[in-house]
Amino acid sequence: MSDQFVIETNDLVKSYGPHIALDSLSLKVKAGATGLLGPNGAGKSTMIKTLLGLIGVTSGEGKVLGFNIRTEGENIRSKIGYLPEYDCLNPGLDAIHQVAYSGELIGMNPTSAMQRAHEVLEYVGLRDQRYRKIETFSTGMVQATKLACSIIHDPELLITDEPSNGLDSRAREFMLKTLQQIVGEGGRSLLMASHLMDDVEKVCDRIVMLHKGRLIAQGRIEDLKSIDQEIEIHVWGHASELERELQNSGYEVRRTGRVMRVVRQDESTYAAIIESAAKSGAQLRRMNDHEPSLEDLFLVIMERLGYSVKSSAELFHFGPSSSKVDAPSELKEVGR
Amino acid sequence: MNDEESQNIPDAEFLGQAGAKVEGRTRLEAAYGSSDGDEQTIPSASVAGGTKQHEQAHLGTVFDQSYQPWGGSLNPRWARNWAILRHHVYGLFSKGHRPYGMATKLILFAAFLISLGDLGMSFISAIFSETEMHRVFGISKDNLYGHVLGFWPRNAICFPIIAALLIGGIISEDRMHGTSAIYFSRPLNRIDYTAMKFLSVAIVLFMLIVGTLGIYYTGDILMQGEGWAFFLDTFPIFLAAALAGTILVFTYSSIGLALSSVSRGKFFPAVALLGIFLGMKLIAFLIYTLFERSVLYLLSPYDCVAHVGQALVGTTSTYDHPWTWSLMSLVVINAIALYILASRVSSMEVTRE
Repeated sequence: MSDQFVIETNDLVKSYGPHIALDSLSLKVKAGATGLLGPNGAGKSTMIKTLLGLIGVTSGEGKVLGFNIRTEGENIRSKIGYLPEYDCLNPGLDAIHQVAYSGELIGMNPTSAMQRAHEVLEYVGLRDQRYRKIETFSTGMVQATKLACSIIHDPELLITDEPSNGLDSRAREFMLKTLQQIVGEGGRSLLMASHLMDDVEKVCDRIVMLHKGRLIAQGRIEDLKSIDQEIEIHVWGHASELERELQNSGYEVRRTGRVMRVVRQDESTYAAIIESAAKSGAQLRRMNDHEPSLEDLFLVIMERLGYSVKSSAELFHFGPSSSKVDAPSELKEVGR
Repeated sequence: MNDEESQNIPDAEFLGQAGAKVEGRTRLEAAYGSSDGDEQTIPSASVAGGTKQHEQAHLGTVFDQSYQPWGGSLNPRWARNWAILRHHVYGLFSKGHRPYGMATKLILFAAFLISLGDLGMSFISAIFSETEMHRVFGISKDNLYGHVLGFWPRNAICFPIIAALLIGGIISEDRMHGTSAIYFSRPLNRIDYTAMKFLSVAIVLFMLIVGTLGIYYTGDILMQGEGWAFFLDTFPIFLAAALAGTILVFTYSSIGLALSSVSRGKFFPAVALLGIFLGMKLIAFLIYTLFERSVLYLLSPYDCVAHVGQALVGTTSTYDHPWTWSLMSLVVINAIALYILASRVSSMEVTRE
């Protein structure tokens, strides 16, 4: 395995009896900010626990920051900062002591943990609230305190699980800006699990996408987005005829009402759209190259896996039952 | 209001802007607007003789966010374990550590005073040279045993209640608040976590039960002016009582932690602990009274420790069955409790609890 990756796994399998939580996962995560995406039950939590060296793997191997996940879990956890999705703070403690205690649990001596707790709480914007009890904090302040706990020892890799969950827009912006700064200014690496595509796109330049324990995409977001360039058209009248006409001409069309996206094959696609519109009697009110978002990328990948999904929220906000839907057998190999 | 009237409304100053119309929509925006409301009203400093730019300078922004690296080194395993121990024990005495309720601290203090009641009586007997009184409260096999394992009041209202208050939330609150994620995402293993939690409550109980025994023993010798011969005679009995007290502390801690590890709050483990200690004692007592069979006392943790303690100290046994049965029962009870504790702690989650 190479040392240029902060996380590297090779055919990693984790199964709980007959249920396979991670299926032949071969990851290569470079230094920098990486988003971890996947619907409920995709295996994100299992992957995080595996990377932290907390659960044994069934087969395969993996390294985090050069440490073996099978045998060097404690070394990994002393170099990693982990921001959990759920509450993890003692509400009866004040923020400064909670953060200092979390530093002592890593092995910092009490004096330097306290000194560093002041620094990180100021960094996350809680300088004036550091002596307040956590039970009096808003969701944003709690989230900031959790972040302070995770960066107190200046970790080389920060793993965040839904860092902007439940935050209002201002707190969310601050959290994302802070994470960006930790990566950009602090030179640390970040693995950010989130179901909010916008957040991942704002902070990360790479993604790892899981589905049913399998890796379905990994790499730079820009590279992944360029797999399908689309032309967006706004149509007035005869939209269905135009859609049919384009499909008959061999173009792939995605349509939501009067807005359609046509997969660009080459320069001639523009002329073909105008020609089809003329044939079908549809008015083209607008035509432009579509700049795909991460959300679009996600939908394309899910469509290729045989799922009919209108938005990422549809998958992420459904209960576990959504992940029980099996992809058509002929498409099952696509994700491999 | 008709159109003509509405047109005649004079212009007014609104939010410091002369000429701005006071319209219903503007009022609504000011009162319920979704923005922060500071767009027009951020105080601006007026710098005498300054440039226009200075005059427009906004006040109030002093926060400069910049990431500071940390170059310190991390201590080894013992320091992390010490942090857990310190956090739980110091919490009883100072702020900034594990928060205990004021009631817990007061009851602990009261229990400490009650535990030293025999020393107080010995002190009174020493002051007034009351030999008869000293015979009742002074150092003897029965009194050393009674200080640790006497049922009333120590093991009826003091020690079990303290154990329940101390241990009730020690693990269950980590489940409830999700703080297990803070522990297990650190380089701590679950054995260390459990051992330190166990040790921290055991230390407090030890100070209360065995510590006060030591104070009583030393204090009585000093107050009565006893010599080395008395010390040498009684010290083995003191050690036996201290050992019995240690077994009591271990048993209370293991059962209490097992109950704490299976729940998510402190109420259930505390009540269950009292139920096991006092309920089993009551049932065994009723059976003994009705049928004159003491075997059911084997199910009562307190009675098992008391029986073993009687054998260790050498006082008259109050049970019909052999003390080795009680010892075996004690081993089984503790083994079950530790098994439950270990399996429940190993199931504690990091990603979600």
